[in-house]
Amino acid sequence: MRFIFARPFYGGDLVQQMDAIGVQSLGIVLLTGFFTGMVLALQSAVQLQTFGASMYMGRLVSASMIRELGPVLAGLMVAGRVGSGIAAQLGSMKVTEQIDALNTLGTDPIKKLVTPRVLASLIMLPTLTIINDFVGIVGGNLIAQFYLDVPTSLYWRTVWEQIASDGFLFRFIPNDFVQGLTKPLVFGAVISITACFFGLNTSGGTEGVGVSTTRTVVTSSILILVLDYFLTQLLLSLLVAP
Amino acid sequence: MIDRDRGAPPDPHAPTDADTPADSVDVAEARERRADDIIRRKQEERVRSAIKDELSKDDTREDRPRPEDPGPLRDAVIELERVHLAFDRPILEDVSFAAFPGETLVIVGESGTGKSTALKLILRLLQPDSGRVYVKGKDIAPLSFTEALDVRQQMGMVFQSAALFDSMTVFENVAYPLREHTDLSDDEIESRVRQKLEFVDLNPDEVIEKLPAELSGGMKKRVGIARGMSNNAEIMLYDEPTSGLDPLTTGTITRLIMKLQRELNVTSIVVSHDIRSAFRMATHIALLADHTIRFFGTPEEMAASDDRYIRDFLGGF
Repeated sequence: MRFIFARPFYGGDLVQQMDAIGVQSLGIVLLTGFFTGMVLALQSAVQLQTFGASMYMGRLVSASMIRELGPVLAGLMVAGRVGSGIAAQLGSMKVTEQIDALNTLGTDPIKKLVTPRVLASLIMLPTLTIINDFVGIVGGNLIAQFYLDVPTSLYWRTVWEQIASDGFLFRFIPNDFVQGLTKPLVFGAVISITACFFGLNTSGGTEGVGVSTTRTVVTSSILILVLDYFLTQLLLSLLVAP
Repeated sequence: MIDRDRGAPPDPHAPTDADTPADSVDVAEARERRADDIIRRKQEERVRSAIKDELSKDDTREDRPRPEDPGPLRDAVIELERVHLAFDRPILEDVSFAAFPGETLVIVGESGTGKSTALKLILRLLQPDSGRVYVKGKDIAPLSFTEALDVRQQMGMVFQSAALFDSMTVFENVAYPLREHTDLSDDEIESRVRQKLEFVDLNPDEVIEKLPAELSGGMKKRVGIARGMSNNAEIMLYDEPTSGLDPLTTGTITRLIMKLQRELNVTSIVVSHDIRSAFRMATHIALLADHTIRFFGTPEEMAASDDRYIRDFLGGF
């Protein structure tokens, strides 16, 4: 890791990758988050109504989105869209000798290609997750308002009550946020490193590029789901509610 | 195994091609005299080295020259010394050759005989299992990754597929080494890029904004050469520069490689299947067969060889 972040630093490439990984994934993340929030609210509406607990819709949606669905869904979407893109691009560069060309031109391909992608993922995945969480909660709000007649102000108050009820790290960072942002940070690293690894180890021409792309999406998706469990367990044990 | 001292440095004033039979004899005699000088100097160096070793009490030093390890040839720009390399099967066995300043050494051989591997060893993209690879007299095996990147900046590599960065324009491709490793201003970089593109017979105004996908095979190779030489590399390495090109473009690329040698005194190592081009551009030819150097000499010596394999390899040429 020390080697990855050593000089020279390719700032221009970092900005370009932040655009490719973050900004260009915005549409897919907005759609995913919005509909997930809505369907979550819709599925819960019947049960909550049965127990007369419609007012807790905000708590349910915010807890689910911030802690689990936001990070995991953003991770899976980025693994599919960005991970495959990175693997295909680096794989194509490998089989067309462009990686060797970088080496022969005195450039370290790790610093030029891997570092900007890893850093951009580390920055953009938590950002996308925050957006995903927010539009998911907004989606839940719409369902709560139109199906359960829960007023918007009440919905958002219960959202905040849920966030506050799980305690704070250093007295002002909600534990839900710590959990919800640690995960995408790890997922960002997992996706970008997996994609760069398979991309740079591509062999066997264009067929090899396809294999690397598939392996990247499968491996990073599985790692996201498995790591999600272990991270949840770890974070729950570390972030004890007051 | 080849005669290591055969590859003597050429006289810079001597013609590279045999213009007349008399000239050819003069050139051959001059090369022989220089080869004798090199042998004598090497023997003196070895004696001095042996005396020094005897006097040295520190026998445990690992980098002390060994008797079987003669060290780099004086004046050689690139030298492979008894190189062995194997992956799951042997690739190169006991391969030695040297290229001197201003020479064009063409490595020929059947497919899969390790020709491109030899280039990768020179670039230190691979390391030999045993033996040494010297660039300007310096063993490049012990170099760190970063030091190896610095050594590579002295060389320009032209790949079989040209390996242009397809997300960059022609200008950005040729300017890449300058932006990476020099402090030249944008104007100076543009001027250098235009100069290099003109050197490879391309009209800068026509191609500078194009992407590699918009270029023909021959144009890609020429841009690849321009990129390789943009940092004023003293050593040019070519991997199958004429493969997949039509005969006219093949001739153009061959003339370009000769132009680099003639006008800029660049030392070139060319890996090629194309015997006709090899004979036109080479000052020396190395024939790789059965993982080792089967022949090393001038094109004239190769053409005159009675070796059955060489005659078969040359075919009807």
